[in-house]
Amino acid sequence: MIRLENVTKIYNSEVTALRDATFEVAKGEFVFLVGPSGSGKSTLLRMMNRQERPEKGAVWVAGRNINEMPDSKVPHLRRNIGNIFQDYKLLLNKTVHENVAFALEVIGRPKHVIRQQVPAVMDLVGLAGKQDRFPHQLSGGEQQRVSIARAFVNRPLILLADEPTGNLDPGTGEGIMRLLDRINKTGTTVVMATHDQRIVNMMRKRVIQMDRGIIVRDQARGVYE
Amino acid sequence: MWSRLTYTFRETGASLRRNVTLTVAAILTSAVSLFLVGGTFLVQRGFDNLLSKWAGGVQMIVYVTPQATPDQITAIQQALSSNPTVIDVDKLVYFDTEASLAEAKRLFAADPGAFALLNANNIPTEFKVVPKSGKLDLLVQLADSFRPLPHVQKVVLARDQVEQIAKLRDFVQTVTVGLSILLLIGALILIWTTIRTAMYARRREIEVMKLVGATNWFIRIPFMLEGLIQGLVGGLLSCGFLLFFNRLWTNGVVKLKGDNGFIALVVSDSFLNGVMFGVVAFGMIAGAIASGVAASRFLDV
Repeated sequence: MIRLENVTKIYNSEVTALRDATFEVAKGEFVFLVGPSGSGKSTLLRMMNRQERPEKGAVWVAGRNINEMPDSKVPHLRRNIGNIFQDYKLLLNKTVHENVAFALEVIGRPKHVIRQQVPAVMDLVGLAGKQDRFPHQLSGGEQQRVSIARAFVNRPLILLADEPTGNLDPGTGEGIMRLLDRINKTGTTVVMATHDQRIVNMMRKRVIQMDRGIIVRDQARGVYE
Repeated sequence: MWSRLTYTFRETGASLRRNVTLTVAAILTSAVSLFLVGGTFLVQRGFDNLLSKWAGGVQMIVYVTPQATPDQITAIQQALSSNPTVIDVDKLVYFDTEASLAEAKRLFAADPGAFALLNANNIPTEFKVVPKSGKLDLLVQLADSFRPLPHVQKVVLARDQVEQIAKLRDFVQTVTVGLSILLLIGALILIWTTIRTAMYARRREIEVMKLVGATNWFIRIPFMLEGLIQGLVGGLLSCGFLLFFNRLWTNGVVKLKGDNGFIALVVSDSFLNGVMFGVVAFGMIAGAIASGVAASRFLDV
């Protein structure tokens, strides 16, 4: 589903964020990217939906080299990739329902599809009944669920999560992980950057460990260390 | 398609309301600058009307009384042609009754009442005389010799009428063109700033839109529509100014009685309508393009 070949990313021609990264993520896999802050986890995620382009190497997503993709095709690539962030990135002036519907609306989905898909995904993330609240009326964990609902409402092939439990207490974080695991079990490939040791050790999924832009470990059913 | 349209109009409306101060500033500036652009065309047209009798290097007009017979007209023509060293005979033109009436109709566009008084029995016909280059002084001396010819009503020299007006026109034109360019730039900068502010206010939304796969055009179009509406409203306001000042001007000129020819400074309604249409269209297009360019500049998420 995702393949990186010798990917090197240098910021401002001096800071090397990634050096010669090569790995492959199969369809339906769940992968943790772990490592300290600044080790290149977020840069790797940003490579996978072409928010960044590498100086060297190739990034393949769903069989296409996305660095050679014309800009006009990038929106269509991103419709197949959901994104979740540590700070949720919800629109504060929109209700829960509007936040989720927005993702479908801006890619031109017709009204009847929106009416059908939004309540379904709200049920999935456990927010049924809260669709008319505004983000500030929700707890952190609930806000992250809204953000997951928005990322998943279009049924993407891939879900990229950047520290999704970073702002949450341990119990709430575990709930989010159970949700991501459920989504993964529907066949969606999940790549999650984190330095939440407890969660990585609890889930026992594949672990790719980064250090100063280099992949130092790639282990199936790994732990944080 | 329908949901896209409602989305576009909703976003445009919200953005216009959010930015009221800047929007009003942009609209007023574009209204004033478009008014000046339109005004430049009207002033230009008025002067052109006034000077059109003299187009093509004509320096002298010999008016012939309507009662002149064809023989007498030929005699005047021969008198003019007998000075081939001074007068460019190839460019000598005779406006017969029909052509003179047509010219008068154009010049008196603002004063149909005055034009109605003219007919084939009372309108003088005209010989338009172009001098050979460098022979203007000699032509001026010759003018006196044509005045006593039978059925010559009067001989008018461009030097007396035209040159001051042409200078005035050049001055007015420089000032209005310069001012309207400055104000147009100001209006475009304000529209640009409005859009930039609107995009900054919505940067989080735009980031989310890009991440979920909205196309740049989808993001850009509400902003372009916003610029287009600003240009449209500014253009319509400027039409109001143009109508008002043109009315004022026309009334003023029509009141100037006497045979001074200034009635030609007034432009026809169809020309005014054309200018107003052009000003509105230009405002809309320039507003949309400026916003589109501004939006693109800030779309690199």
